Amino acid sequence: MSRVDVGGNLGGELERLTAESKARASAVALHDFESGFRFSLRGDRWFHAASTIKVAVLLAVFRAVDQGRLGLSDSLHVRNRFLSAADGSPFRVDPASDAMPELYRAIGRTAKISALAEGMIRASSNLATNLLLDLLGVEYARRVLRDAGISGVELRRGVEDHAAHEKGINNEVTADGLLTLLSALRGDFLSSESKEQAIHILLGQRFKSMIPAGLPAHATVAHKTGEISTACHDMGIVYLPERQPYLLAILTEFDAEQDGRRETVAAISEVIHRSLTGTEPKSK
Amino acid sequence: MSVERLRAIDGLNLPGEYRALLRPGEAETDSRGNVHRLPRFFYEIDSWQQAHEVRFAPHFTLAELMLVDCREADLLLSQFPHYVPCAVILLAMFLEDFRREVGGPVFISANGGYRSPAHQIGGAKSIHAWGTAANIYRVGDTFLDDAKSIERYGAIASSLSQAVLVRPFGSNAGETDDHLHLDLGFVSLAPRECSEAS
Repeated sequence: MSRVDVGGNLGGELERLTAESKARASAVALHDFESGFRFSLRGDRWFHAASTIKVAVLLAVFRAVDQGRLGLSDSLHVRNRFLSAADGSPFRVDPASDAMPELYRAIGRTAKISALAEGMIRASSNLATNLLLDLLGVEYARRVLRDAGISGVELRRGVEDHAAHEKGINNEVTADGLLTLLSALRGDFLSSESKEQAIHILLGQRFKSMIPAGLPAHATVAHKTGEISTACHDMGIVYLPERQPYLLAILTEFDAEQDGRRETVAAISEVIHRSLTGTEPKSK
Repeated sequence: MSVERLRAIDGLNLPGEYRALLRPGEAETDSRGNVHRLPRFFYEIDSWQQAHEVRFAPHFTLAELMLVDCREADLLLSQFPHYVPCAVILLAMFLEDFRREVGGPVFISANGGYRSPAHQIGGAKSIHAWGTAANIYRVGDTFLDDAKSIERYGAIASSLSQAVLVRPFGSNAGETDDHLHLDLGFVSLAPRECSEAS
């Protein structure tokens, strides 16, 4: 087996990719359990969290399960009405931009916590996210993050809270922060059963055009993407059967009309995989 | 299944853990400062199957008037028997009249019928704790989530009885904007077989 120059000129390659993609900004954080290699490029820069914040909600859900505050088989009233973190005004999330249409058909009735957690991550459902966060409370979720020793993940509100956005109240993350969030999910913060279930949910991610797109076909990834008009992120645990996994967070910021955003994240993922494993670039 | 087969019980005779949650006959002050007695007499429901079988009115089962989510106290949610104030039968009768008037199915939301005084939404100050209130989120194919639909069906409900209160459309306290709230007031019902002697 050839010796791998772990890391190599990783920083230089990532800077080149970012420049070529016309990204306004990018950040990467990496922890490889095979080699022990840790890497952070602008890991403390804050970005709009987009849907990566849903992993923080997932952690809070399973912490609440471990604490007996709720059960995965519990039922929750499905209601598309939430109160803004800015001024308490009511708002609704847009069904047109939600990949979980069946949840909107359940309005008025109930859904299981487990189904909401899955929908929040795998379909990135904003309705499922706000229902869970509304049940747990933002303060509880923030306390869970604190208890887990996570800094660099600021959960301040539900999603699609436009009144809060206009007042600058946003969910924000750093790449280093998302890495500690992944570490908490994978470590001993949750019970082994909850950890297994949370990672299983992340493994069922439907959107695979970023981190997984830069990996060989036999890789599996427990991950969560996040995209809004200017942000394009992915974070996850990369599993390869021949080696120990690695944790990865890739955050990017683009002009709203810029093409090639997901491709850039995929290219960063590929460079990192190549750097860690010493493999050749994928043929174009 | 007819309502006669349901057992009505005096809440004061329930075990302490149930009395602590249901608070039978206890005084509670509403948002206006008026004092009301929480319900004392309850139907005892043995299973969800029974709740689905019991029809208090031709088109309303007990189940849809007692469906709550995980915000309900665990003892009242996760195991049977469940207890629902006897006045819920009056609510079902009114809803049947309302259904006849609107000419289509009427859907009560989860947490939109009876909620116990221990429920996290409203608690004992909510008239839902009397079993005499309903949150209607849909009539036929129409979801009641805007001023037009809520005011239209609210006017119909109001026209049926002076005893009915309909909350106006809006997002302030005492208003609703994603369902129609109606209630019959703080009504308590003592079944014939029960004694009110304490």
